[in-house]
Amino acid sequence: MLRRDFLSSCLGTGLSTALPLGLLPGALRAEAAPLKLRELYNKDKSFSGIALGLEGKPLTVEGFMAPPLKADSTFFVLTKMPMSVCPFCETEADWPADILAIYTRRTFRTVSYSRKIEVSGLLELGPFRDPDTGFLSRVRLTGAHFDIA
Amino acid sequence: MKTSALAFAAAMAGTAVAAQDLPQASSDWFTAGQATIEAMLARKANTNTAKNVIVMVADGNGVGTNYATRLFDGQQKGMLGEENVLPYETPDFYTALVKTYNINAQTPDSAPTAGAMNTGVKQRFNLINLSESGIHDDCTTEAGNTLTTFSEIVTDMGKSVGIASTARLTHATPAAVYAKTANRNWEGAVPEGCDNSKDIATQLIDAMEAGTIDFAMGGGGRFFLPEGTEVGQSKGRRTDGVNLIERAEGFGAQFAHDTAGFDALSMDAPVLALFNDSHLEYEADRADDDEPSLADITKKAIEFLSQNENGFYLEVEAGRVDHASHAGNAYRTLTDGVAFAEAVAIADELTNDEDTLIIVTADHEHAIAFNGYCGRGSDILGLCMGVSKMGDKHSNEPLLAADGKPYTVVGFLNGSGSVLREDVNWVGARGDLTQEEATDMDYVQQALVPTSSETHSGEDVAVYAKGPWAHLVDGTLEQNVLFHVMHHAVTAE
Repeated sequence: MLRRDFLSSCLGTGLSTALPLGLLPGALRAEAAPLKLRELYNKDKSFSGIALGLEGKPLTVEGFMAPPLKADSTFFVLTKMPMSVCPFCETEADWPADILAIYTRRTFRTVSYSRKIEVSGLLELGPFRDPDTGFLSRVRLTGAHFDIA
Repeated sequence: MKTSALAFAAAMAGTAVAAQDLPQASSDWFTAGQATIEAMLARKANTNTAKNVIVMVADGNGVGTNYATRLFDGQQKGMLGEENVLPYETPDFYTALVKTYNINAQTPDSAPTAGAMNTGVKQRFNLINLSESGIHDDCTTEAGNTLTTFSEIVTDMGKSVGIASTARLTHATPAAVYAKTANRNWEGAVPEGCDNSKDIATQLIDAMEAGTIDFAMGGGGRFFLPEGTEVGQSKGRRTDGVNLIERAEGFGAQFAHDTAGFDALSMDAPVLALFNDSHLEYEADRADDDEPSLADITKKAIEFLSQNENGFYLEVEAGRVDHASHAGNAYRTLTDGVAFAEAVAIADELTNDEDTLIIVTADHEHAIAFNGYCGRGSDILGLCMGVSKMGDKHSNEPLLAADGKPYTVVGFLNGSGSVLREDVNWVGARGDLTQEEATDMDYVQQALVPTSSETHSGEDVAVYAKGPWAHLVDGTLEQNVLFHVMHHAVTAE
């Protein structure tokens, strides 16, 4: 599989647009120390053993909220480092290869892209195209909530 | 007073103490200092004609960044770090400082800086290889203002030319070897109405067809393929429907998109290799099967180009040193800096000082800065530890600032690591910090001025050179002088 298949944010058709796993009741914060986002991936961007072992289970991941693609949403992208774009070095912003799509239980207040947060939710693997933004993700936390780290 | 000083000096000359009689003569520092002088006295100016020229640019690797890489590399090898010597810091290399400003910018960008090294004149911000009359983003100012590049000059001398980069091959530094454009961002398309202009990717393939580029290896496949086309890691973004890879293969070039293809390249046809849709991965994130290392790319380039008995010109860029600093992530700045040093070492190993001029430099510095007063061996990525009264190593006690919190050795003046918070009207405070957090590979250094991307700075960079006419690299030079060193070296009789 091409390692950046999941990065495309263009609108598309043919993929399921149902919210994965739906809204989940109750807090899902894992008790263990937060995972680092990079622990979900191998260097070739395939899923790590940790990710495969935690599929469908609750966990907490630390990272940074990329500026949301849509206001008043329940969706944002978690990045391992703050999204930095050199304004004249790049013609457009590229998503990093290792990111995590977050689907929260309710709409959230945006946090500055440079503040570290800890996000808890259920880990879901596999392709999913967001119905509102067209963002194609390959790994997600669903039923999620977050706190400032 | 002056007369008195001269008289005193004359008197002292008559009674000078032999170095070996000094009380410090048995110190390792003293003997090492003497050895350095011996090495420098043994230097002989090499006035041969340069058959080959290799320019190695670590993008954004100014004096400060290079200092951090030196310590990081040393600490990775078990040293305290400060005493480490990078491959291009030995007495074999002549050294100078370089002023990097552009015609119209105190803080330079990578396009005109690389252009200055490739044409011999300073250039304007965000332009590549146009004269001072070129205007940014105005394609009508390209005609009549294009400059002649070093690659074109040496091609006329019968030499081969190569570019290798961990950035997109259409990005500023590699593009300056072959492209001429009013906007460095016209990598895969030019604006509507610019019918006499060509995007940078097309210019590369034109140069390969014309024989002014023989070897091109790096990233940026997206700008060589039409929309809807995928090759290896690359997804086409060209809107003109042109497949530049097929065009290159049509005139006989070889193409590779991964390490297996890299290994399979033959030595008898021009090389185009695009390992990634955009830039290559940071060294810390690179998978061997996807992309070769910069050292391996450099080795392949030299082996290929050195087949030409007339010689070659090769520009190698470690492009992602710069990108990591833009992200405020010193870990990846330094790991890519070490990968660059390894590439320099292999280039030196594979070439002969008698006929090959190697120039090692950077295009510009970043807004990197260093805190004090740290003890010897403080982890360059970690907290600034105190100075010990005994021995040489630090006290292992983090120094605390006036806010009672520790701080790292490395910081950036600006960037996404700013401690100022937008949600509280840009007021802020530094967070608590542990050694484990500070040395994490994804840690973003604390900064002050809040900017989305950490910036370049106008501070000098260093240049190191060995081989024919390397002794011209001396003093404090304007960046465009490096072209003149190269040009003199290949034309000297």
